[in-house]
Parts: sequence; C-alpha cells; structure tokens
Amino acid sequence: MIAPPGSTLWLLRHEIRLTLRGIGGGRKRNRIGAAFTVLVALFMLLAVGVPLAFLLRGQEVPVRPEFYLSVLAALTVLFTLMLSQTLSAAVEALYQRGDLDLLFSSPLDARKVLTVRFLGLAFSVSLIFLYFLAPPIIPIAIMGHPEWLAALLVIVAVGLAASGVGLLLATGLFRLLGARRTRTVAQLLAAFIGAAFFLLGQLRNLLGKERSTSLFDQVLAVAHDPDFRPLPGIDWPMRAMLGEALPLLAVMAASTGVFVLATRIVGRRFAADAAAAAGASVRAQRRKDVVKGEFAAGPFRATLRKELRLLARDPALITQVLLRVLYMLPLGLLLLREAARGEDLLLPGAAAALSLMAAQVAGSLAWITISAEEAPDLIASAPARAGLVWRAKLAAAAGPVALLLAPLLTPLILMSPWVGCVAAFGCALNIAKAALMNLWWQRPGKRSEFQARRKGGLFVAIGEFALSVLVAGATGLLAAKIVWGLIPLAAALLALLLLRRSEAQIAAGLRAAA
Amino acid sequence: MPDALSIRGLTKAFGQKRAVDDLSLEVRAGELYALLGPNGAGKTTTLRMVAGLLKPDAGAISVFGVDALADPAAAKRIIAWAPDEPMLYDRLNPLEYLEFVAGLWGVDAKQARRRAEELLRWLGLWENRGERCEGFSRGMKQKTALAGALIHDPRLLILDEPLTGLDAAVARQVKDLLQERVRGGATVILTTHILDVAERMADRIGIIQHGRLLAQGTLSELQAAAGGGRNTLEDVFLELTARAEAGA
Repeated sequence: MIAPPGSTLWLLRHEIRLTLRGIGGGRKRNRIGAAFTVLVALFMLLAVGVPLAFLLRGQEVPVRPEFYLSVLAALTVLFTLMLSQTLSAAVEALYQRGDLDLLFSSPLDARKVLTVRFLGLAFSVSLIFLYFLAPPIIPIAIMGHPEWLAALLVIVAVGLAASGVGLLLATGLFRLLGARRTRTVAQLLAAFIGAAFFLLGQLRNLLGKERSTSLFDQVLAVAHDPDFRPLPGIDWPMRAMLGEALPLLAVMAASTGVFVLATRIVGRRFAADAAAAAGASVRAQRRKDVVKGEFAAGPFRATLRKELRLLARDPALITQVLLRVLYMLPLGLLLLREAARGEDLLLPGAAAALSLMAAQVAGSLAWITISAEEAPDLIASAPARAGLVWRAKLAAAAGPVALLLAPLLTPLILMSPWVGCVAAFGCALNIAKAALMNLWWQRPGKRSEFQARRKGGLFVAIGEFALSVLVAGATGLLAAKIVWGLIPLAAALLALLLLRRSEAQIAAGLRAAA
Repeated sequence: MPDALSIRGLTKAFGQKRAVDDLSLEVRAGELYALLGPNGAGKTTTLRMVAGLLKPDAGAISVFGVDALADPAAAKRIIAWAPDEPMLYDRLNPLEYLEFVAGLWGVDAKQARRRAEELLRWLGLWENRGERCEGFSRGMKQKTALAGALIHDPRLLILDEPLTGLDAAVARQVKDLLQERVRGGATVILTTHILDVAERMADRIGIIQHGRLLAQGTLSELQAAAGGGRNTLEDVFLELTARAEAGA
C-alpha cells in the first residue's frame, strides 16, 4: 500500500520506521538482533504456544474469580509497565528527538503530526508485549480458539490507555517541574517501576517458598470466599481477552476514549511545551553551584575532584547504578537464606553477597568515570600522564563504593572479625577487579548510554561477571574457613592476569573503537 | 629562536585514504598563522597530530625545538588545542572546568585560581562562573573552552574553526583575544573557512589540499603565487585550489 506523502499513514510509517530502528541499533547489530528476535519468537511459539494449544484444544476456559482476578492483576501490571515506558518515551519524543521543529515547520497540520507521534508512542509500547504474547496465542487461536486473538487487541487497548495516561503525566510533570527535571523524574519512575516488578517477580526468592506460597493461597482464599462480591464488570477484561463481543468492544472503546481524550487535552499544550523546551532550555538548565575554595593542585586531585562532582550531579545515573544493588537483592537474599539453613554459613553468605554487590557498583561507576569521559581529547592533549589520570578516575569510582559498603561491613566485622575482614578483602578485590577490567577493556560511550554499555562488549561483560562470581565465591568459602576457597581465588587472579592489557594496547583498542 | 612549529614530511592515512600526505610547513614564533583548505583537505588531522591526539604514520613535528613525537608531554606543556566543538563538561561550571584543566597542565593552584578569574572577567563570563555549562549558549561555551586553552599560558595556541557559530560580538571578542595573545608574544595557528578573517588577521597563510601544502606565505606572496589580478584571499584561494584540482 502506497501512502501519499504528508498523509497520516505516511507519517505513521515514518514514526514506526524510527521506532524499529531505535530498537534495532546499527546495521550490523540489526542482523544479529533480527536473528535473535526470530529465534526467541520461534522458541515462544514452539516451546510455549504449541504445547499450550494442545493442552487447551477442545476445552473451554471458565470465567471463575481466581482466573479473572489473575487476568485483572496481569493487565494492571502490563498497564503499569507500559505507563513507565510511555512516560520516558513521551519525554524523549518531546525533548530529545529534536525533529518536532522540522515537522512543525512543514505545511503538515500540527494536530496530525502530534496525533501520529502519540500513535507511534502507543505502537512502540505495545510492540514489545505483542512480540512476547503473540507467539503463544496464535497457535491456540489456530487450534480451536480463534476468539483468543482478541487478547492481542486487549494488549493494544492497554497500550493505548497507557500512552494516553503517560502523555497526560508527562505534560503535567513538565508544567510542574520543567523540561530537565521531567526527564529525570520520568527516567527514575521508569527505573523504579521496572525494579519493583522485578522484585515482585522474585517474591519467592525474597520471601522463601513457604511464605510466597501462602501469599498466593491468600489470593485464592479471597477468590473462593463465599462472601466475595466482585464489582460489576470486573470479569470483563478476561471476557474481552476470550473474545466476547460486548466486553471486547467496551475495553477497546474505553482505552481509545482515554487515548483520544489525552491527545486532545495534551495536543495544544504539547506543541507549546515543545517550543518552550527548545527555547527555554537555557533558562531551565542554568543551575548555580557554590563557588568557593582553592583550586585542586595537580592532575590527580583535579581529576578526582572533577569526577566526584560529575557523579554527584547526575542523580538519574546514580539511581540507575544503585538500582543494580536492588536487582541483586533477590540473589543476595537467596544466598543468605540458603546459608541460614546451616547457621555457620549465614555470615559467609553475607560476605559473598557484599563482594558481588561491590563488583557490580564499582564496575558501573568505573565505566562512567573512564569510558564515559565527556572530553577525551582534552585529557589526551594535556601533558598529564594517562596512568595518573586513570588512577584518579578509578579512585573516584572506588570511593563511593567504599562509602556504601562501610556501614554494611562494620557490623559484620564487629559480629565476626574473621568474616568481616575476609568480606572486606573480597569487596576490595572485586572493586579492584571491576576497576581494572573497565580500564583495560574501555568501551567509550556517552553517559546517556549507560544502560546499553554492554553492547558490542558482551565477551568482556560475561568475563567480568564470571570473575565477580569467582571472587564472591572465594570470599564466601574463605569466610567459612573452607580452604577450597583458594581455588576460585587463584582462578580469578589468573584470569585477571590473562586479561591484562598494557597502556599501548589500551590506546590501540581506543583508536580501533574510534 | 626556533620556529614555533616545524612539520617535516608529515603523513597520515586512514585506510586507503591519505589525509595528510608528506606535508611540510613552518610557523614562526610570535605570528598568527592561518591554515586554510577545502573541507577534507587535512587541516584538522594535521593539527590533531601536532596536539598529540593522533599518531602520524611518518614525518616529524617540532614545537619550539621540542620533538613532539619523541617527547609529547614536553610539547603538550606549551601547546593549547581548541577544536571547533568545545571540549566541556555539561555539569561543571566555568570555574570548576578551569580548575580541572589547570590541574591537567600542572599549573600552580593559587596562580590558576587568579588566572581563571582574570580570563573569565576578560571574556565576560565572571558573572556566570557558578552556572553549569549545560545551559550556556554556543558563544559562552566557546569562550569557556578558550579560557581553558589559555589557563596554562601556552606558547602555541592551536584553534580549529574558532569562530564557527559565534555571533558578531563574541567573534569580535575572540579575534581581539587572539591578537592580544600574539602581541603578548604567543603564536597562534587557526583554521577557518571565513577567508576575510584570515586575510585581516593572519601574518602568514598556508593553503593545503588533499593533505599537501599548495602555498605558504604572506597575502602578497600568495597573490604573486596565484598570478596577477588576484586581489582578495578568496580569489587567491580559489585559484590555487582549482589549479591543484586540475593538476591532480
């Protein structure tokens, strides 16, 4: 189908193309990414969809409280996840893409431009969930349940509603906080919502099998309670997913209504905000810092001070780093709970978990200070020795980790000096390992690319994580006074020696990357 | 007194393409030298090699008699490099930026603080000293970067397109600053596409194309090289580059 230039369809195709390219990355990554995408879809189709289709063939799914409550909960989770994505995507579309000026300066109707931009948002948030859910649903639909295809429409409906609410929220935040803070808040909200659902998914690890089962039992108990009086229409989302005409129409109409209403309300305001964001960025971003004190003397102190300032002034980035600690919580708790079964292993388990956490945070900070240097040419054109500057950057990365660990290590040392000292040693070793790996295998990038910093360096990332696990394992074993802990320790040190790169090799690597 | 910059047989290739091809030129101490050339002529590559940011494939670079390839740190100590895109940190304010740059060049802390204040006042940025660079206009960013380039009082100042994107007032301020530096005994090398600026400001001019030096000298020497009737630098530049293109 050929859409005439300037038509809504033509604009939508442009939006979708940009969205897909944003997901795909570079040309080379596109090929690898496309192959991976197809493989995952095939896996979902064959390993999940086909068995489910056989299981459900000839059977009707009853609309019972435990099912429709589960569907409602799942759709709520889906909506929240989509909302977090829409919020940051809306901020990106408004303040970061920078093509609105071009579109608004064209003879196209501004309302059409914005409607298509908003539809593009809804498309981009729905796409990822459709990708995961379509392969299991399609075989079920083919093998006797064509009405299940309605589930895909419900996902699109949730995407539309989430986009509408996300757009309203983004505009409201802009009014309240201004462009810069809206971006930060949106990123933080998205990160926190993502982390919250991750932790929810790890409930079994966090609470233990017994307690999490009882939680599920409680939900079932509520559903089976004879006094349970559901709100009218609470089962409609499930009925809509099962293809019942009226509920499906109602869900679609409600979500489309939310989207259209938001588009109308936001439309005019959005255009004004976009113009304000471009023109008022200077006003919004002129932040005053306290100016006092003497200058730092010498390259080491000047670099250290500069790096600490930059770290302290990037709350969004620091939050992302600290969220990594949150993501490690289930693993740490699992380790602790397993260790608690044998009382003697409880503290060594904590030592291992702390060491692993130190590696994660130090690795992230070292990437920021070394690889995400904003003015590499300035440093390269200075007479200061590269080694000295790098040491200052590593010190800036290690310092905050030490501060973070101190209140955790101190009670450990007080409870058991041996375990505490081994934990401190393990943490120090993992910090040093993370710092050196980031120094030797630098992957230049921008701070804004923090989340995608592993791209193009998967081998190093896996190696780095394997080393972290080896050191953490050694820490746990040695803290438990198990001499076999020396083996992973020796293996980690040997691997580190093998991965070492000279200053000349680092420089050559950087030149190749450039 | 040795030349501020002496380049001999400098060569740099990127893959099959020779960006700089057996280039030789001299810049005398205390002069303002304009290096001109069409886009892709090799100007920036040449200057990046002088600043120690790129390693040449062949050739020699001497800065005030210091072999820049054998002892890059010694050469860097007396050079300042300011590219067309200011090398700044968005989340630092000008004073903090100058503190960092002064630290990299090992300038005494007290002296650097004093000098930073002088430079920021001179460039009209003193009132903005506590504001982060992320909110600065292009001109303010350029001036901050220039202050950074001058904080260690370099003997050789290398500027790549220093006037790009500046409004008339800021451009004038930058030009005044450069001329003041030259009067103070420093040497300035700049690249620019604004030929009027080169014509009015430069003591000597070098024109390169395809990585090779086409001509070098004062405006009148270049006019003579281009042949009679070529009055402006623009005429001279177009004649010489067209002649070289035809001969290539």
